This record gives sequence, C-alpha cells and structure tokens, in this order.
Amino acid sequence: MHETMADSIQQRRISVKPSGDDKPRTGGAAKVSIRELSFHYGKFKALDDITLDIPPGQVTAFIGPSGCGKSTLLRCFNRIYELYPGQRASGSILLDGENILERGQDLNLLRARIGMVFQKPTPFPMSVYDNIAFGVRLYENLSQSRMSDRVEWALRKAALWDEVKDKLRQNGQRLSGGQQQRLCIARCIAIRPEVLLLDEPTSALDPISTGYIEQLIQELKNDYTIVIVTHNMQQAARVSDNTAFLYLGRLIEYADTETMFTNPAKQQTEDYITGRYG
Amino acid sequence: MKRYTRRRLVNAINLTVSCLTMVFGLIWLVWILFTLADKGLARLDWAMLSQMTPPPGETGGVLNAIVGSLLLTLAAMAIGTPVGIMAGTYLAEYGRGSRLASVIRFVNDILLSAPSIILGLFIYEVVVMQMGHFSGWAGACALALIVIPVVVRTTENMLNLVPDTLREASAALGAPQWLTITKVVYRAARAGILTGVMLAVARISGETAPLLFTSLNNQFWSTDLSHPIASLPIIIFQFAMSPYNDWQQLAWAAALLITLSVLALNIIARAAVARRGN
Repeated sequence: MHETMADSIQQRRISVKPSGDDKPRTGGAAKVSIRELSFHYGKFKALDDITLDIPPGQVTAFIGPSGCGKSTLLRCFNRIYELYPGQRASGSILLDGENILERGQDLNLLRARIGMVFQKPTPFPMSVYDNIAFGVRLYENLSQSRMSDRVEWALRKAALWDEVKDKLRQNGQRLSGGQQQRLCIARCIAIRPEVLLLDEPTSALDPISTGYIEQLIQELKNDYTIVIVTHNMQQAARVSDNTAFLYLGRLIEYADTETMFTNPAKQQTEDYITGRYG
Repeated sequence: MKRYTRRRLVNAINLTVSCLTMVFGLIWLVWILFTLADKGLARLDWAMLSQMTPPPGETGGVLNAIVGSLLLTLAAMAIGTPVGIMAGTYLAEYGRGSRLASVIRFVNDILLSAPSIILGLFIYEVVVMQMGHFSGWAGACALALIVIPVVVRTTENMLNLVPDTLREASAALGAPQWLTITKVVYRAARAGILTGVMLAVARISGETAPLLFTSLNNQFWSTDLSHPIASLPIIIFQFAMSPYNDWQQLAWAAALLITLSVLALNIIARAAVARRGN
C-alpha cells in the first residue's frame, strides 16, 4: 500500500502542475518562486525585497541569525501570518506558477498543499489517531478502514509507527518531545501536501530525536519539496541541497549548500558561517 | 554574616505572617462549616428529603424546595451556559483586540459585580410585571443573569491560556477557524471551562435575593416553572426568620444540604475532568 500511496502522490503532483506556458515562470521548474517579497509587522519591515526559487523534490534551508526574518519568510508560504492583524506581505509567491498571495486564494486549500511543522511540537489534545485523522477529515471522507490505513501510512512515513502502534488511543500530548514532533510531521503529511515547511523543527529536541528527524527529512524529500528554517548551520549543511542566508530581512546569498559552505560568494556569508557573528 | 542573619530573620517573619493570615482566613470557613454541620446534621434525615414543607408545629421536609431548586438551577444553567460560553469565545477568539470586545468585557465585568438583588429587580420589571405573576421562569432568568458573566469571564480566561501555537498548527492544516475552536481549542480548555460552569452552579445555588421577586415561594409540590415555585434559599430565608424551632432546624438542614451538594458536584466534575484528561 505504500507504493500505491506514493504513486497517487506522484500522480496528483503531476496532474496539479500547470503546463507552465501560460504564465511567466522565472527559474524554470521551480516549485515555489518568491518575487520581490516584502513583509511588515505593523510598521516594522521584516523582509525586504526577497527573490528566490525553491526547486521541487529538494531540501532548501534558510539560515541566519535570530530576527533575520527566516521564520517570517517561511510563514509567508502558507499565509499563516494572516491569523494576526497588522501583519502583511507584498510582492508575490508563485506556487507552480500561481500567485498565492492574491486575494482570491482559498487559504484552506492552499494549506492543504503546503504543510507546516513548528518549532515547538504542537500535538492536539486528542488521541494519536485523532491527531492525524483530524487533518485528513478536513479534505476527505474516508471509511474507517481506509482512515486507519492512512493513519498507519503517515505514522510509518514519519518513522513513528513502531513506537506508537499500541498507543493509538493514547493522548498525543503524552508522547515524548521527539515523538510529538514526528507526530506533527505525520499529521502534516497525512493530508498529502506538496510542500513541507519546517520551522526549526529540532530546536526543542534532544540530539537523538534530532537525528531521527534529520534522517526523516532525507527520506521525505523524494516525495515532497521541503523548506527548513534552522539556527544550526551544521544541520543546514547536513540535510539541505540549497541554502539561503538571510540577514536583517534581506537575502544575502542563495546557492547550493556545498558552494555555500565551502566557497561562499560574499564575505558576510563567510563570516556568519565561520561563526564570526550571529 | 550579619546580612545572612537578617535575611533569615526576614524569612522567618514573612513565613509566620503568611501562615497567620492563612489561619485567620480558614478559621471562619471552618467555623461556618462546623456550625452548619452541628446544627444541620440533626435534622438531615429521610423525612426532610422526602416530605413537603410543613405548616408550623407539624413535621415535614423540604422536598418541594429541593426539586424547585434543581429545576431553577437547571433552567438557569441551560439558558446561561451556552450564552456565556459563546460570548466568552467571541471575546477570546473572534474579537481579539477589537473595540467591541473591550466594551463587552467592561460591561461584563460590571454585570459580574452587580448586586444580585438588582438583577432580581430587573427581571421583576421585565418578566414578572409583563407576565402579571411570579414564576419559576422569571427566577431562572434572574439566575441566568448571574451565570452569564461568570461563565463569560472564566471561558475567556481559559481560552486565553491555550497557546497560539496550537491555533497555528490547526490553521496550518487548513482547518477553518470554527473547527479550530470547537475541535482543538475547546478540548484544550475543557477542564477550565467546566470549572467555570461549576463555579456558576455553586454561585447560584445559594442565591436568595434574585428569587425573592421572581420565583417567590410555594408551600406545595410543584414542578411547573410558569408558576411560583419553592427553592432552598428562599425556604432557608423564610424558616430561619421564623419564631418556630422546627422551622429553624429545617433551615439549618437545608443550608447543610446546599453546601454538601455543591461540594459533591465539584468533586464529581473534577473527577470527570481528570479521567477524560487521561
């Protein structure tokens, strides 16, 4: 059943993708293209004229010191910032060529395509099973057995199944921190998004759980486009294919991870990566 | 060394003073409960629970008042709880930071501290005068007016304690706001909201003043809320003021009964919350 599920994701992705001829798509096959994006918290400008392309099926990392805007940038992808008045983005973010910042966008459908995992694990106050079924029920009306299959599939995908298969009815908030975070990843992929946003997913976890999640990211990138925000430069070097360095709301440098860490083009990037500030 | 001695002295003084104030506060509570048990236990028997209120000099019980109180409380909670929870939800979820919400919050605080006799007079004016006679429904309305601000306040406070990260996580899955509130936020705040409802039950089960002008009293068995109906607080008021010894004893027993019921209700509610929490 894993194969079929993966197949259907593949098919869905292909069918969702527009031909690309009708709209201008700089960067060719980019999954997400950010164009001249600026962001304001009230009067404070947190992002200034960001332009970059996120390639499909790869891991892209945002690095930079605290307050540089990397989490803010990630929060634009699914417009989660709209929960709070006074926060607004301008410019455009193209998902498969379609501008998601446009007014008419259905936010809920957008968030079904772009899943997000947060810094602190946020299991809902319900059973492990319901934590995953909650999101699936928003979009699909599955029979009980198919729902159970989906829950198992998501938990296996998140490398959590063996640990919780006997505790599916237990409250999700009683799992350990690392398990909770993997539960959140499972919950997110259960609705089969195309893009996964990870906002410092391991900063609240111990090294062993961090290792699990990093391994997981490597496995998930075959099926999903992954964007990860991290404080930890070693982590960015370990898990990502491309790295973007942000500083004070500006994109300083964006390149493939190897170039970024061995031969950065800008002095500022080199200073940050070698630990001179940040 | 001198500093250290001084610090220990201050610590000892603070500890003593805070213990003394605690004892001062508790003495009255224990005294009240002790007197209540001492005077009430003698008459708290089957006859009291199973017979109607007697004329002076005859034996009897307070069954009609128990049933009346139950009905009044039930009706008041049925009116007040949904209104209170929904209003509290508006304040904490939908009306965040809005001007309307702060006005409502202010008015609710006034209502919370309004003397209950004023609420009784208000209902007398708008319900009893319009209907032309005293009734159980009028009493239930007056009690509901006491319930609403208590439930609004506790609901809002409890919802505010739910971390925003949980709301974000639900929104990031694409859940619309009403689903986030009903399925995730309410669950997280369940115990607190229930405590608020229990607090309101405790509050109204002893209220006398608002019932004086609304549900009045009834010496006979009645379950019809469209007519005057007996209630425990009114019986206590009437019997305690009377010159007859057996009436006074019944009043003590009724007071003890209210206290024990509220205590039992609280224990049951806490146990239920604790069990479901697991």
